[in-house]
Amino acid sequence: MSRRRAWLVHLLWIAPLAAFVGSLLVGRYPLSFASLLQGLGEGSTSLAGSILWRVRLPRAIAAGLVGANLGLTGALFQGVFRNPLVDSRILGVSSGAAFGAALALLVGSPAAVQGGAFLSGLAAVGLLLLLGARFGFSPLVLVVTGVLVGAFFSSLLGLVTYVADPLRTLPAITFWLLGGLGGTRWGDLVPVAAVSTPGLLLLLALRWRLNLLSLSDAEAGALGVNAKVFRPLAVAAGTLLVSASVSISGMIGWVGLIVPHVGRAIVGSDQAKLLPASAALGATTLLVLDAIARSALPGEIPLGVLTGIVGVPAFLAVLRVFLRRRGEAR
Amino acid sequence: MRRWESWSLLVGLVAVVGLFAAAREVVDPLGRVVPVPDQAQRIASPYGMGTYYLYALGAKDRIVAGWYIGLRTANQAPEALRRLDPNLATKLRFGDPNVEDVAALGVDLILADATRYAAFTRLAREVGFPVLEYRVETFADMASALRVTGQALGGEAEARGDALARKVEETLAALAAATAGLGRPRVLFSGTDTLCVASGTMFQTLLIEAAGGASVSAGLAGSWNEVSLEQVLVWDPEVILLAPYSAAEPKDLLADPNWQRLSAVASGRVFKMPRLIAPWDTPVPDALLGLLWLAEVLHPGALGIDLCAEVLAFHRETYGLELSAEELAGVGCP
Repeated sequence: MSRRRAWLVHLLWIAPLAAFVGSLLVGRYPLSFASLLQGLGEGSTSLAGSILWRVRLPRAIAAGLVGANLGLTGALFQGVFRNPLVDSRILGVSSGAAFGAALALLVGSPAAVQGGAFLSGLAAVGLLLLLGARFGFSPLVLVVTGVLVGAFFSSLLGLVTYVADPLRTLPAITFWLLGGLGGTRWGDLVPVAAVSTPGLLLLLALRWRLNLLSLSDAEAGALGVNAKVFRPLAVAAGTLLVSASVSISGMIGWVGLIVPHVGRAIVGSDQAKLLPASAALGATTLLVLDAIARSALPGEIPLGVLTGIVGVPAFLAVLRVFLRRRGEAR
Repeated sequence: MRRWESWSLLVGLVAVVGLFAAAREVVDPLGRVVPVPDQAQRIASPYGMGTYYLYALGAKDRIVAGWYIGLRTANQAPEALRRLDPNLATKLRFGDPNVEDVAALGVDLILADATRYAAFTRLAREVGFPVLEYRVETFADMASALRVTGQALGGEAEARGDALARKVEETLAALAAATAGLGRPRVLFSGTDTLCVASGTMFQTLLIEAAGGASVSAGLAGSWNEVSLEQVLVWDPEVILLAPYSAAEPKDLLADPNWQRLSAVASGRVFKMPRLIAPWDTPVPDALLGLLWLAEVLHPGALGIDLCAEVLAFHRETYGLELSAEELAGVGCP
């Protein structure tokens, strides 16, 4: 490994921590480092303490978790489906979760948005696995059924937006679909962390075997991994993470697609290294973007919009590098 | 201490003093007991209707951040609203509110919508801001919302809120009496698009019924409904109302060959509901004018009022604003 690359790998682990601390220092409410420390000690008895403990900390943790989930599942799916263009949205889970959230908003129960999104995301995974059990769990079947499940839930979502009140419910649904972490509270984090932490740990523990899933089923079998069992397991664990993330953040695109490519440029395509690297990069990316989303303007900037605005040029840059390596671009 | 640090300390102190200076309690429209400061001086209203309640109760100088129905920039605001509040541009917000923004503004009272921006409302309350939550869908809700807002503002605003609420109740009673024995014309209310019509539970439908009409689309559920021209032909409305925020104008419908078979178009009874400060078809005090205007459209002369004098008096008494001749002409007053 070159010295430059080794330095980058070290930076990869420091970056999420630095972004986390940095994001606590940034916000619309002016808090100096000294008042931040003071607020840390005071708890929520002062306004500064309240802003830190009740507004910034839960939100930064949410951004870190969601970013890590999206980055890691992006890398996982790109490996499992042997396709560099897939991300967490490919399996229809995001659409499933979006439908659940929109339905909760439609029936006038904003408190049920997170639960609705998660359950509906799970329903999408369930449907996917059910179809997989019928047609097999080959990458092709999973992608096709994922797209179909996604299309089905997108149509249901369309139905909900069609009947929603355009003055109140529809803007709430639209903003949720654009993605964002505004209003995240400690209570919202509990279910996400409860699902994400074991999911992340499980996938990180299995990361050595995940490399074999990018081989054919026969080759993987020869190396001791039953791909027919292991692939749906990995996909189910990944979709659980996505479901948990979407339930709190809404639809955030591009992170799961771009981050693994950047990770691959730094640590290579070994899933054992790529998965943790993508998680770290995803967390860093979302921490930075969310800090911008909540600080740049008096109102919230939808996070999904920001990731798109940053993500598309980033993707073009990645594409350029990719084509250059193949000698197809100048 | 650096300058911005002193400022942040000052803003923080003001806010904390605001939070702990809660001397009274009011019961908000959702039935929650909310401790409010004795004299709320810096109010944020991420509730589009609530912002207009504040103007109507004489608290425009206490608004530091306001959401306005359908407005994204001050330039989109009607001239009357810009004259009413020359500082509109600095207060106007839209989209999801941000708790830190509210904290940085040193806000001491928040008016919020019970359904929209629910996550913000929960977090703001958790941080310690007094939040009044509203769900206004009927005239009775509006009267109660005006009373509660007046109580929360305290002082003269309390009497103003009560007077406006009574005015709503009296106007409804007067309209019911004046239109009791009269026929109820079939009315179609269309929103942003001519074929986007109001459902039975919407405020616009209540407005039509209170003014002595019958909404043809009252049987529809949900919110705004897209319907086909065929359905409109089946309904055959005698009067068509376009929302103040509709892109269409009555002359467009009157000239459209597809619409000629409708009774309303044949008799030229297609109208655009006016807007001077706020849209007259929304649950804000201006709906009082919406009621009177619509009653005059449906049953000319039945109320025995001079609508133009009412419009002038309403703006003078409620907003302290003298309307220009041009603004009056805009609502059909010579």
